[in-house]
Amino acid sequence: MSDLVTNAPATSQPSMVRLQIPTRLFSTLEGMFNEEVFFLILCVFIGIFSGLAVVCFRLAIDWMHLALLGPLPQTHGWRLFAVPSVVGLLVAGLVIRVFPGIRGSGVNQTKAALYIFNGYIPFRTAIGKFVCAALAIGSGQSLGPEDPSLQIGASIASALGRQLEISREKLRLMAPVGAAAGLAAAFNAPISAVLFVIEEVIGRWSAGILGSVVLSAVSSVVIVRWFLGSEPLFRIPVTTFKRPSELIAYAFLGSVGGLASVIFAKSIGYLRPILKALPRWTQYFQPALAGLLIGLIAYLGAPQIMGAGYDSMDQAMHGQYAWKFLAVLALLKILASTFSFVSGAPGGMFAPTLFIGAMLGGAVGDLERIFFPQLTGSTGTYVLVGMGVLFAGFLRAPMTSVFMVLEVSGNYEIIVPVIVANTFSYLVSRSLQAVPIFDLLTRQDGLILPSLEEDREEAILRVEDAMLPVPATILSAQDYVDANTRRVQDSAELIFLVRMHPSGWSIISRDQLERLFQEGKGDHMLGSVLPSQFLPSLYPDLPLDSALRYVNDYPLIPVVNRADSRRLEGVVSRDSVFKKYGSRRAMEVQTSA
Amino acid sequence: MPRSAPVILVLLTLAAVTGFAGVSHLVARFTANQQARGRKLYQQGLGDASAGRYDDAISAFRAALTCDPANSQYQLSLARALRDSNDPRRLDEAESYLIALWQRTPQDAAINLALARVAAHRGSIEDATRYYHNSMYGVWNSNPDLNRNKARIELIQFLLKKADSPQAESELMALAASLPPDAVAHLQAAQLFAQAQDSAGALAQYREVLRLDSRNPAALAGAGEAAYRSGNYATALRYLRAAVNANPEDGNSRRLLESAEQVLHASPFQSHISDAERNRRITAAFTQAEQRLNQCAQQTDIDLKATASPSASPFSTLQSLWTATKPDLARLRSPAETDLPDAIMDVVFQIERQTATTCGPPEGLDLALLLISQKREAASQ
Repeated sequence: MSDLVTNAPATSQPSMVRLQIPTRLFSTLEGMFNEEVFFLILCVFIGIFSGLAVVCFRLAIDWMHLALLGPLPQTHGWRLFAVPSVVGLLVAGLVIRVFPGIRGSGVNQTKAALYIFNGYIPFRTAIGKFVCAALAIGSGQSLGPEDPSLQIGASIASALGRQLEISREKLRLMAPVGAAAGLAAAFNAPISAVLFVIEEVIGRWSAGILGSVVLSAVSSVVIVRWFLGSEPLFRIPVTTFKRPSELIAYAFLGSVGGLASVIFAKSIGYLRPILKALPRWTQYFQPALAGLLIGLIAYLGAPQIMGAGYDSMDQAMHGQYAWKFLAVLALLKILASTFSFVSGAPGGMFAPTLFIGAMLGGAVGDLERIFFPQLTGSTGTYVLVGMGVLFAGFLRAPMTSVFMVLEVSGNYEIIVPVIVANTFSYLVSRSLQAVPIFDLLTRQDGLILPSLEEDREEAILRVEDAMLPVPATILSAQDYVDANTRRVQDSAELIFLVRMHPSGWSIISRDQLERLFQEGKGDHMLGSVLPSQFLPSLYPDLPLDSALRYVNDYPLIPVVNRADSRRLEGVVSRDSVFKKYGSRRAMEVQTSA
Repeated sequence: MPRSAPVILVLLTLAAVTGFAGVSHLVARFTANQQARGRKLYQQGLGDASAGRYDDAISAFRAALTCDPANSQYQLSLARALRDSNDPRRLDEAESYLIALWQRTPQDAAINLALARVAAHRGSIEDATRYYHNSMYGVWNSNPDLNRNKARIELIQFLLKKADSPQAESELMALAASLPPDAVAHLQAAQLFAQAQDSAGALAQYREVLRLDSRNPAALAGAGEAAYRSGNYATALRYLRAAVNANPEDGNSRRLLESAEQVLHASPFQSHISDAERNRRITAAFTQAEQRLNQCAQQTDIDLKATASPSASPFSTLQSLWTATKPDLARLRSPAETDLPDAIMDVVFQIERQTATTCGPPEGLDLALLLISQKREAASQ
């Protein structure tokens, strides 16, 4: 069963029909609010409601955790086994029977809402995600609260948008706006949330989108800080970066992080379809089994891997663990998070990613310092950089990963190590796993959503790629028709560009020119008798798509220099453009084969 | 469903206010619940910490902090437990908690004191001194004077441990000036002066103790020892006798008393003795010096006769010097020979110093002669 398809309303559902009704709402505003202004104000309210929901969600997780497991350092042995297993059964029942659209993290569902379902996310999803994710994370499943917060925010925003019958275009944007608010509230980091949503969900920048997303993110963070304080997620240790030569150490950390990201992503990508393909009754037991395995790991000495694990990250940041234990924790967290995620328990991947990165960063940093004692970076510095490394490698959000580390640490000094390490991680991960994890999950669910990484990296065809050389014969509009006729007699071409005065281009065929001459217009200036006047021109750096608008109307289109529009760089024709697209397609087919 | 934007905004505002109130109520209840749980865990941690079970205490404080993450007292207690657990890896975390607290209340003396102790654990004199000073001049919630003096004493002890005597002495002077009229406090200061090898300062503090508590045996013994160390043997004799009378079990005072008596009986430089007595003491010292030289040579297998060459060794040089000086003893009675006692005693002192260097600390009359030598040397400097 697909995680995403269950979110889809039939296109004939009442809410969708209502969307097609002209927006009567704005006709009654008497000029006080136009749609843009109203939408921006609405974004603030979305931020407030999402913030309130996330505050409750975090309280619910903490309450569940304390009620079910007790304060972690004092958790009793039997609870480590019993709680995740029993609660896993309950969660599975709820997910399968009551809230079928809440499996997994929620990022893909939000993206699907934007691209497929016109911004529609049922409000039931918010309730289900809230209850089930709080149960799962609170009982020790190795998942985080950030992605569910994102989906809860998106769901609230979508419901609000539908209730207010805003336009389809704005309704589509509601889900990402709510997602940004939810994520910002969960992370207490508005910039990272805005970047993530724009980088991974919306995929394009515009002033309108940015403004609305920022407004909702900021207002939700204000709400969370109001209730839960402005304490950062971690106590940030003293971080140091003294010598540029140490960047090699961070590059190595990035490479190791990239490898770990690939292992993590491939584990999920391999196991998830297998478990989903098992008989339906087994799905009732999968979260319980995952909980049992996690409980076993915790019982055997690593309770740190349970839940989101922020306390353990904090301790790793302050050098509480030896490098071997850090490495073991990273490995066990990959296992535990894979179990939890593929079992269908609702919860996010952000916190586990940060946890694995933190432990790996600490382990690699400590190990490097054993071999190279002259390295000055503290364990805390490597832990922080490691968090960004996994974020860049696993979630494949390089910009968000950099800003997230900066925002969480509040320290600009480590930006260079973070950028270097994240870049290496991203490159290693991309070279070993072509499809990013979120895209992989959507494809496993049978959906083809636009891959923003692919879009980002797609080689864009430009006008210059299809450009033909400057024609040998160029006519002048200021010359007489008979002079121009004489000039074309020696040319084999059938279509000629005409340079207009004082600027611009036009076009004329050999037949048209000869006809003008035969009509006795030889003593007329060509510019005054041209059948078609000005011709659109293109620039070499424009996307080739922009030529498509003209190629059917004009046999030749001049390509001119941006600095001097009279200077011809070449021409494009219908044939040259289509030929270029054809050769590109052939190359793609060859590559995919 | 209202269709007017202003109406919608009013309704949304009402919904937000309602939600805000509801969440406030929830958060307040949850927080109160958590705080109660945290207090219980905190008390448990305090019990563990006071019993020296730091691992349990750390665990309990951590659990308390999961219930009430922003609680400064819990953070401070956790930091202290981390610091006191004697695990160097935990110092970073302790410091991190304390720095976070310090950034919030840099004037808090208790936090500064905890940070000073972390720096002292690390052995950083500069940081420790800075935080101890912050603690002394910071805000104490109770007994500020007492706590300030305690902090200063801790700093002095740390500096003495790190062998930074000049800074320790300057802190000691500041401490002495700020002490209340309390025998215990002055006694502690006197002991610190003695530890810093400032015998004069120590003697002054012991005298202050005796002014407040004239029969204090520790002060009597300390004053005697301080006077003895500073070469004031007559004063030392007085205090040490009183100390031995007050506490006959005090072996150290008895030993120092005997040594001081011997110094006073052996010194030819005492002002109130007759010429005959002075000459007798010089002769006795001279004879004792030869015995000491021979014993030491024997002990270290040095044959004084075989190495009679003047440049052979310090021992043979001293032997030659002693032999050359011996005839001068007969001229001691002559009133014209005013420099002769010093010249003879100089030979004695050279032998005592050399033998002390080669054969270790002397005892009895030799020790007395060495002490007289050191006092003369200090006086001449």
